[in-house]
Order: sequence, then structure tokens, then C-alpha cells
Amino acid sequence: MNYKLVFRLLGRLLLMEAALMVPSLAVALIFREGDVMAFVYTILLTAACGAAPSLLLHPDREDLTAKDGMAVAGLSWVILSFFGALPFVFSGAIPHMADAYFEAGSGFSTTGSTILPEIESLPRGVLFWRSFTHWIGGMGVLIFTLAVLPRLSGRTSHLARAESPGPTFTKLMPKMGDTAKVLYALYIALTAIEALCLLLAGMNLYDALIHAFGTAGTGGFSNYNTSIAAFHSPLIEWIIAVFMMLFGVNFAMYHHLLHKDKDSILHNEELWVYLAIVAGATLLITVSILPQAGGFFPALRAAFFQVNAITSTTGFSTADFNVWPLFAKSILMILLCLGACAGSTAGGFKLSRVILLVKSSFRDLRHTLQPRKVAVVRMEGKPVNESTLSQVGVYLFLWLVLAVAGTILLSFETDDLVTAGTAALTCLSNVGPGLNGVGPAENFSFFSAPAKLLLSFLMLAGRLEIYPILLLFSPNVWKKN
Amino acid sequence: MRIMIIGGGKMGTSLAQSLVDEGHDVTIIDRSEAVLQKSMDSIDAMFIKGSGVSTETLTEAGVQQADVLIAATAGDEINMLACLTAKRLGAQYTIARIRDPEYLSSLPFLQKELAIDYVVNPERATAREISRMLRFPFAGSIETFARGRVEMVDFRAAEGDPVVGVPLKEMYKKNRQLPQVLFCAVERAGEIIIPKGDFVIQPGDRVHVVSDVATITRFFEALGKGMATIRSVIIMGGSRIAYYLASMLLSMKVKVSIIEINPEKARRLSEMLPGADIIEGDGTDQDLLESEGLADAHAFIPLSDRDEENLMSGFYAVQRGVKKVIVKSSRDNYSAIMHQMGLDSIISTRVVACNTILRTVRSRASRSFAAVERMYRLMNGQAEALEFIAQVGDDYIHVPLRDLQVIRDALIAVIVRDGQVMVPFGNDTIEAGDYVVVISRRAGLSNLREVFR
Repeated sequence: MNYKLVFRLLGRLLLMEAALMVPSLAVALIFREGDVMAFVYTILLTAACGAAPSLLLHPDREDLTAKDGMAVAGLSWVILSFFGALPFVFSGAIPHMADAYFEAGSGFSTTGSTILPEIESLPRGVLFWRSFTHWIGGMGVLIFTLAVLPRLSGRTSHLARAESPGPTFTKLMPKMGDTAKVLYALYIALTAIEALCLLLAGMNLYDALIHAFGTAGTGGFSNYNTSIAAFHSPLIEWIIAVFMMLFGVNFAMYHHLLHKDKDSILHNEELWVYLAIVAGATLLITVSILPQAGGFFPALRAAFFQVNAITSTTGFSTADFNVWPLFAKSILMILLCLGACAGSTAGGFKLSRVILLVKSSFRDLRHTLQPRKVAVVRMEGKPVNESTLSQVGVYLFLWLVLAVAGTILLSFETDDLVTAGTAALTCLSNVGPGLNGVGPAENFSFFSAPAKLLLSFLMLAGRLEIYPILLLFSPNVWKKN
Repeated sequence: MRIMIIGGGKMGTSLAQSLVDEGHDVTIIDRSEAVLQKSMDSIDAMFIKGSGVSTETLTEAGVQQADVLIAATAGDEINMLACLTAKRLGAQYTIARIRDPEYLSSLPFLQKELAIDYVVNPERATAREISRMLRFPFAGSIETFARGRVEMVDFRAAEGDPVVGVPLKEMYKKNRQLPQVLFCAVERAGEIIIPKGDFVIQPGDRVHVVSDVATITRFFEALGKGMATIRSVIIMGGSRIAYYLASMLLSMKVKVSIIEINPEKARRLSEMLPGADIIEGDGTDQDLLESEGLADAHAFIPLSDRDEENLMSGFYAVQRGVKKVIVKSSRDNYSAIMHQMGLDSIISTRVVACNTILRTVRSRASRSFAAVERMYRLMNGQAEALEFIAQVGDDYIHVPLRDLQVIRDALIAVIVRDGQVMVPFGNDTIEAGDYVVVISRRAGLSNLREVFR
């Protein structure tokens, strides 16, 4: 690892984080609820820690190798979560560091799991920051840095690839920086549209922004204890449900839409599979909860909202689905693992990987019947590389290993397999709530500090698609070159 | 500008890297996934897998909006077809690499019929470059500016040269006979330095000087490195460059021997080059070289396809005291080592071709007419020598140079006005229509205005 270069880049990212805390400071200044100094201290500390390596270190080589790129991606999220946790600690909102780290990690990784049993009494600046971390984490802080800074280093594709979800990374523009700008422009525009819709639906500006951030990053932090149910407004529920669905779509689709590139959208298999899954699951759950929901439309609304909240890995809730029939819960848990489209802000395993796995399974089954047949797997009509297919298989394995290991380790904390299993899964998929002890009406505060750190690790691993975080444990990455 | 490159080979990627560094949006199309994967990590460009002659691929890559399309695949015919297709689909300007000597005579016709705006023949351009170097055997390379009036020549400073050991500003006070040239760049230990007045040249430095042709000639005579004409040349390897070079040299009445190992190739060469001696044999065989009169040859030029063989034979020829050895090598990262070992003249087909194309692209990139007239890269592009024509109405016109702020790491080397070449001083001005040669360590200058703050 090129330590000087990696630390210099990390320093720049910390400076960026300090700058991104300024809006929260402004909110704190407006409401004056005792959290202003927490932000001032954090910003100063973060900026100082960021400026030191940028000023002191002068790397001999400027090109970022694949190894350095992975290290930057993995380390940056660990470090950003640490500094992101400081406002919680300094303001006294979340006094314990492990709790605060969990909350910040949950924010940046857009998970939305919380250790807070009581949210509404916290200072509003802190709550704003808590939701703002979703928004930063959704599209990624490295991508943001690529969009804002002219040239970090010669080779930035490693960074973008490490941070953007999905089996392959497609550039929208020839230059990495321009691609990052396009992505953030779309992201900001969609967020603004949602905030506007929520304002028109009767929310105040502060609530509208908080929930727009939570939806855009597919995070799921709300500033109300009962999440979206607190508004008692079907209109708001529909708006948020639709936007959760929109943020689960690959952002390249919006780029194609703006460029009137109909074919690219119509031929995108993942998009159609995504919409079909949402429609199918909504229908099944509507039927399943019909007896207890009090009418078809309330059932449809609750089902559509919850399906999108889980599929897009946002994790808002309008109802306690823990009391729904097992059939409905099972469907939600499958959706929780699948996740939404690659290239969106959603977490999970990603549908494009699922599609590739299904297709290659069929191909291999057919291959046993016709051993001499040469067949390629196609996606969007184009042949898929064999190496991409095997990478997807390996990814599935690693994902399962983390899920199972997480469940086993959490079993020291609880006697309920469903609680332990869904807690691990919901963190790895960046959704937020699970079932039983970690259901939508519950929270994660009962876990011990080591368990909270384990869950934070799962959340970051899920957000960065495992490799960058897992590779931090490899001595090879830390070797000086 | 939006630039599409078809073919991600050595030339394609090296061009792409330079163009991206200059800030252009580059898209590379190649049929091989493996080729694209290799460059994807290092070059910030868009990569598209597919054939450069397929309308579907070209459309996907956005050919309608392309300002320049460069076809640089291995096949001449593919390149021509790609240019034609791209032009019909809406590309603004097309550049094709065409190298087969058989197309040479029909090029003007092909260019017109196939809508190719610019043809690059790397081998022919390289051959032309070598023949120019042979005319000035003391120099590592010679670049010309202002329609041949100005030359930039580099040479290795040796112990005892009158330019060594004296600060530049005192050099002409001490040695009044020395013709006045401008010392514009010095390569030392792999670094390029744009020297100031207190700079002292040391033995072993590669010094680039600029002046008009006559002064340069007198300067080298004063240095005791006078001209010696080359009358006989041995070329190793019967490549395309060898063919083009031999025909150029033969027309200059130079005796040419070509050593080629492949009997069929040797036979074809002897059919195509009636005036040259074609020797069938291994050019790395020292006995053969000796029996063909290496020691008496004025120049030895290894041009085989294998860099290593070229370098080894080149070193051998230097040892045997051949006056001028020009080696073809595509690895520019070794040039510093080669210089240390006495090989001053190294030529790379890729670099020559890339420079030609970059020049064309850059002059298109600049919307005003103050575009780059000529551009040469020194030391792997660590510095560039550029020629501009000063434009009416620009801010720098008629301002004494001492009142103009030149950007860091740049130097106004010469000004040519009405055929008069002058090394500029503080009182001099730039007038509209002047040729101005600038040496700069900053890559990508495309306009004379950018030279001034």
C-alpha cells in the first residue's frame, strides 16, 4: 500500500466530511437546542485531522493501484463513520461511543437501524446530521469527492468501482469526474423533487428534508418514533413509497431517460424484473394481510409501502409488519435479501446478480443434458463474461458466510434465532428493521457493545459490497510497497 | 473535444492517455475484452467492446457527436472502412492509420473517396524522421519550426566543450566567437530542466538549442562538432520503415545496405529497391556485420521488430565506432538508460505517430486560428516545444516581453518575423503574424495566449 497517497486521499475525504457537516451546523444554529458546539468541535477536529495528511504527506507516486483503491474505499468508510459519530457523542444525544458508531455507520451505510428507543426528544441539528449521513452514504462520498475535486489522482476508476453497487460499473461519460457529476446531479434533482412533493403533501420543510434524505439514500432514519406512520397521511405514504421505488432503480436509467434513449430503458432486464417483483410481492402481501388491514385499499397501501421499503432497502415503516401473517413476513424477508437494482442507492444482494445466477444455473442444468453444447449467458442481449459469472458466485458465497457468521455471533446475545438471523441480514442488506426483537417497532439498543460493532461491520461490508471491508483484514493490503 | 479511438493497441492507448491528459473526452472501441480490461484501470476514458466498423457499435459510442475519430487498428482496410462509416454517421474529422506501402500511390484518391481527413503512416513518418537525423549526425534529434527556418537540435555536452562549466548568462561574455543560440532545455538524470541565466551545463547533459539554421550550423562548428555527411548506411531488418527509409536515402544518393533474415522478404525488398544492397542474413550476427563493412559504414540503423535485438546491435555498433547509430525502440521508459550507454538517437514509431496525431487534434481543438502549428515532445512528453503564429488583436501583441508575464516552466525560445529569426530579449515584442516557438513543461498548451498570465 502506498501509505502516503492513501492517507492523503483519506485526509481529503475528511475535509470533505467536515464541509458536509456545515449544513447540519446551520440547522443547529437555527433551532439552538444545545448541539451547536458539538458540531463546531467535530468540524474543527475533522478538518484538522483531514488537513494534516494533505499538508504533510507528499507521495512519491501519484497513481492509485487497485490495492490502494480498495484500501481507500474500505478505510474511508470506517473513518468517516467514526468522525460522523462524534456529533452524537459531543452533544450527549448518544453518550456511548459504540452506540454512536453504530448509529453513524447505520447512517452512512444507509441501513437505518437505530439504537435509539426515543428519537423525538433529540436536538434537531443532530437529527438532521443523522439523516444527512444517509444522503451522503447513498450515492457515496468517494463519488462525491470525484465530482467535486478536479483530479484526485490519475486512476480513479478503482475508487468509483469500489463504492458503486453492482457486479459491474458502467461509466455514463468518458471521464470519471463527469460520470460522478451526472450521478450527483440526478441524485440531487430527485431528492429535491421528493422534498417538494412532501412539502406539498403537508410536511414542514425540516420533516420533508429529513424524509427525502432518508428515502434518497434508501436509509430509513425518521425523526419520529413511529416512522412514517406518525404523519397519519395516506398521501405522504404513497409519495414516499413511490420515491423509495424510484431510488431503487439504476441511476443510468434516469440518464437514458433524459437523453431520450428509449431502447436502453426498454431492454434493461433488471428494471423489468425489479418492477415485476415489486408488483408481485405487493399483490401477494395485500391478499395475505387483507383480513387484518380493514379493507382492500388500506391493505394495498400498507403492502405497497412495506414492499418498497424492504426491496429498496430503505426500511421506513407504516405498520408493524411483525404482526403480519408468516407468509407476508417470509416474502418480506426474501425481498430483504434480494435488494434492488445495481447502480442505485439501494443495498442488498442486487437483482442483476440474482438474474445472472438464475441464468447461469439454467445454463449449467441444460449443460448436463447436452454436454457438448456451447452456450453463453446473456444480459440485455449481450454475452456476459465467464469471469463476471464466477465473481457473482464468489460474491454469493461471501455474502452467505457473513450472514451465517453474523447470525452465529449474535446468538450469544439473544435466544431467538429469528431475531439474531434477521438482525444480521437486515444490517448486511442495509435495510434497517428485521423481525421479532429487531422488528419495526423495536430497536437495536439491547445488543452489547461488541455486538453493535459487529453489526456496524456488517452494515459497512454490505454497503461496500464486502470486498473493500474484508480486504482490510488482509496483511497483503497493509504491506508497504 | 469528443474523440473516438478505434483499436486499443499500443498506439491507441498511448494516444488515449495523452488526449485524456489534455482534457479531452475519449472513447476507445476494441473487439477484445482483454485489451479493454488492461487499459480500463489506467485511462480515464469510456471503453466499448465491439467492432469499429459496425454502425451499431459506433452509434452506441456516440459517433454522431464525435469531433475526431482516429482509426488505429492493425488493419489498414478496417481503418479506412471505419473512417468512412464514422464520417457518414456524423463524425466531424477522421484520421486513419494506413501503413501498407501498396496504398501509398493511391492515397490521395482513397482519402477523397473514403472521406478520410488525415492519413497517418507511422512507418513513413518515422523514416522521414530518421533521414532528417542522418543529415545532422551530431544531433540526437532535430526538429524544425517556422517552415524550416528555425531548428531545435539536441546534443550531448562533453568534457571540454566551451559551453560546459560556465553559467549561461556569462557564456557569451567569455567566448565572443560563439554564435548566439538559445539554450532552451536540458535533460539531466531523466529530468528535463528549462535553464535560467545562472544554469551551468555539465558534461553528460543533453542540451537542446534553438536558432536559425545557419547559426546552428556555425554553433556546432565552433563546438568542433561540425557536419559530416553520411554516404553509406547499413539498415538491419527489412521492415516497412526500412523500405521507406531506403527509398528516401537512395534518392539522396546514399549507399544503402539492408540486412534481412527472411529470404522471401529479402527478395521482395530487392524487387522494390533496385538501387540497394539487400543481404540475406541475421543482422545480430557480428561476423556478418563486420563482413558487410560495419566499421566503415557512416551510419548503422537497426530497425527490426524486436527492440532487444535493435538495442544490442546498436550498442555493438557504438562500440565499433560507427559515427551515427539510430535505434528503433518502442519502450520510451528506457531512454534515460540508453542515453547513458551512448545511444543518443532513439526513435519510436509510436511516438512519432502519436505526435503527428496529437498535433492535428490540438490544432482542431483550438477554435481560434492561433492554433499550434507544430509540436514536439521532449523526454516522453516531460516538456513540449510548440510553434504558434501570433494573432491580430491578442493581448500580447506589441508589448515588450519584459512587461509580459510568462507562465511558470515556459520559455519563449525564438520569434521569427518576415523570415528573420531572433532570440528574444526584454525589449523585443511579438507582432501579429510572427512565428513564436515556446518551450513548456506544461502539457497541452493549445494557444499562444495561454503562455502569458
